[in-house]
Amino acid sequence: MRGKFLKVAVAATATAMLATACGSGSGDGGSDAGGTLRVYASEPAFLLPSNGNDEPSIYVIRQLYRGLVKYNAETGEVENDLADSIESEDQKLWTVKLKDGYTFDNGEPVDADSFIRSWNYAAYGPNAQNNGYFMKRIAGFGDVTSEDPDGEGPEKAPAPTAETMSGLKKVDDLTFTVELSEPFTGFPTTVGYVGFFPMAQACIDDADTCNETPIGNGPYKIDGTWERNVEINLVRSDSWNGEPGKPDGINYRLFADVDSGYAAFQAGELDVMYTIPPARFKDAKASYGDRLYEQAGDSFNYVGLPLYNENFKDKRVRQALSLAIDRQSIVDAVFDGRYAPATGFVAPSYQGAREGVCTYCQKDVEKAKALLAEAGGWKGDKLVLWANAGAGHEAWLQAVGDQIKGVLGIDYELKVNLQFPEYLETADNEQLTGPFRLGWGPDYPYLETYLSPIYGTGAHSNHTTFSNPEFDKLMKQGDSAATIDEALALYQQAEDVLAEELPVIPMFWRKEAAIYSENVDTFVWNQVAGADYGATSLK
Amino acid sequence: MGRYVIRRLLQFIPTVLGTMFLLHYMTSLAIQFSGNPVRALFGDRTPPPALLQAVTERLGYGDPCLEQKGNPCFGLFLDRVSGVFLHFDFGINMRRQEVTELVANAVPFTLKLLLIAIIFEAAVGIAAGVWAGLRGGSFADNLVKISTVFVISVPIFVLGVVVREFVGVKFGNVLRDQEWIPDVIAYGFFSPGFKPDYPFASLLIPGMVLGSVALATTARLTRTSIMENIRADFVRTARAKGLANKRVIGVHTLRNSLIPVITYLGVDIGSAMAGAVVTETIFNVPGIGRLVTAAARTGESPVIIGVVTMLVLVILLVNLLVDLLYAVLDPRIRYE
Repeated sequence: MRGKFLKVAVAATATAMLATACGSGSGDGGSDAGGTLRVYASEPAFLLPSNGNDEPSIYVIRQLYRGLVKYNAETGEVENDLADSIESEDQKLWTVKLKDGYTFDNGEPVDADSFIRSWNYAAYGPNAQNNGYFMKRIAGFGDVTSEDPDGEGPEKAPAPTAETMSGLKKVDDLTFTVELSEPFTGFPTTVGYVGFFPMAQACIDDADTCNETPIGNGPYKIDGTWERNVEINLVRSDSWNGEPGKPDGINYRLFADVDSGYAAFQAGELDVMYTIPPARFKDAKASYGDRLYEQAGDSFNYVGLPLYNENFKDKRVRQALSLAIDRQSIVDAVFDGRYAPATGFVAPSYQGAREGVCTYCQKDVEKAKALLAEAGGWKGDKLVLWANAGAGHEAWLQAVGDQIKGVLGIDYELKVNLQFPEYLETADNEQLTGPFRLGWGPDYPYLETYLSPIYGTGAHSNHTTFSNPEFDKLMKQGDSAATIDEALALYQQAEDVLAEELPVIPMFWRKEAAIYSENVDTFVWNQVAGADYGATSLK
Repeated sequence: MGRYVIRRLLQFIPTVLGTMFLLHYMTSLAIQFSGNPVRALFGDRTPPPALLQAVTERLGYGDPCLEQKGNPCFGLFLDRVSGVFLHFDFGINMRRQEVTELVANAVPFTLKLLLIAIIFEAAVGIAAGVWAGLRGGSFADNLVKISTVFVISVPIFVLGVVVREFVGVKFGNVLRDQEWIPDVIAYGFFSPGFKPDYPFASLLIPGMVLGSVALATTARLTRTSIMENIRADFVRTARAKGLANKRVIGVHTLRNSLIPVITYLGVDIGSAMAGAVVTETIFNVPGIGRLVTAAARTGESPVIIGVVTMLVLVILLVNLLVDLLYAVLDPRIRYE
């Protein structure tokens, strides 16, 4: 059970941060059949946009609130939602113009202030909001957070020097400017994430109440309050001016255990279930065939190589290890096909993603042996393969070890006894002694999110300690490129550097799967945001 | 009697404090050895240190003793105890909800579930036991003996899943296809788990599953006890006096036979709570059991300590009540 929880937790943080908005770009407008859509959900952590960073929270927040941009359901492209325009000359100072006429459910207008106050609230350190992290590109972020002087108690961290970020300035009621600390061409793609959604003044004045009874600005509003652990009911909001949601209401049934959720689905109590218990996957495929939606998702699973360890410094060793692994056979044998083998570093559904970037990601016994011999053979002792305990990583990691042993003759052992917090701390402290499994979920639908946080020199989630001047240079050029297309070309070159240097061995992409009932007319899966309940229509 | 109750109540203090300390020490050790649980909230992405620290402080894991392996964290323990007993503050969980609020939300569901379980096991168990006990060696007796062995030997998590899959899903789906069956039966009673639309009907099957194991034991206890008492001198005397059979069985035999059964039912509330951990998860009942399970999985010390302390108090009180109930059932027992 613990394994499942952790998996969900990881997957949640991962998939969740994947920015969002529920543009129902499907376009046809269609018949308005109404009815209440009953969906499987697990208990959200928070319903406050500044604080909800897990998948269950985001699935609810996205129907209650709307942000500056939304993502096209089919292509994932960014489209303006509440924003009229988001423009910049130098990719550093962005001017945001809002559309007029949108309000919160309590009547407050959705204006420049509502965005500025929400972003400041999220970023302000003492508020301890989970999405504060996403504001870090905005100038003045450092002044609203503070660090403990001695690292860990007993002295409390001093109050930050400022309460608001200097980079946010109101021009008029519907215009504000955002100054970033570094140029970033992809800024407009990031603001569709829930952390950037606006909040009403009344909400921030009493955040606890607003968490239980949200004051949203989106197509749905809450009916009653959040019934903890039982259900959340949404109904269409009259104050919403945009394209209305398809169902009259959305009923989120909250399950603590995915198996009991699946039983409820089988009993016809649910219309959509976006998580399928792994053990029931084959059964679901057989029973619901055409009502099962499946797609390679965007959570990246990789085996990182600790470059601070002597044995992994030679790139030919890293290439040999990667060449020794047959990903498809692991997917088939261990996961019943619930994953797709990775051939690059960027999710296949992303704009600018290319097939087969990683030429060392196909099994090639001869080449692997040759490369390892060229590098002078394996010099270390046993290869230690790391994963966190109880999250179901043992089986596939063992398969990886067996394949490496079979091809390269390197003996291996598994080190899978650390609980997740300790495992992460070990990784943060650079104490891993061999290849380690980790994952990554995108923060926003922009290719850069797969590159700089994991491979940039000194980047926060760079667990391999990879540092490559050429990669850094290309990323920096991409960040300040004049257009997104130019930026993508530069990022692709940076990805090519990774494909040669291989600081991590790309393994799989998790497939997203959802099943829906016979009551559902069209099920909408947003390429970026996942299941879009507001756009899903009932018969 | 009064002095006895006071003495028992005083004994509660070391028991509760001892439990709290053990729980506190175990959860602290877990954090000391397996790392800051707050770090896991961020998953694969490393949070900026300032944010990690702010959240850690906010959630109450900021005490530096939680980084020293083996440190019993007496300071933190005193804070917790004084928080609980002086300010009625049990702390917050990872989602910044008050533990007291969590418990308040969950208790009604668990109480309903326990009530259903206990009524079911007492009513059916005692009836079956009396039926079998009065006709020792008959078909009825053998039927009760065999069926109870069967129920006792199936672990509750197996029984729960089997009932959910076959009664709730498969059989329920057949019923739901029939037009003439009322919704409360097809969609409520035979729902494969708790359903907010039918808050009582959908709890009946989970309650029965929870009560089933104790039901078997209750039936067997009652049976043995009845068989023993029916041959006792006072029953023979009652019969000799010419009392009606109803009175002999109902008052003289049954009342005396129920003493071990009541003890058992009292003790069983504790194990029913343990069973609730399983049944509530299987049937998605948002009660105390599910709360503790979830907290144990994520290592949320305030929730574990708070909820288990409350459970210990409940069990102590129930045991005291059961002891007092003996005196009511059996006038020979006196407390002083």
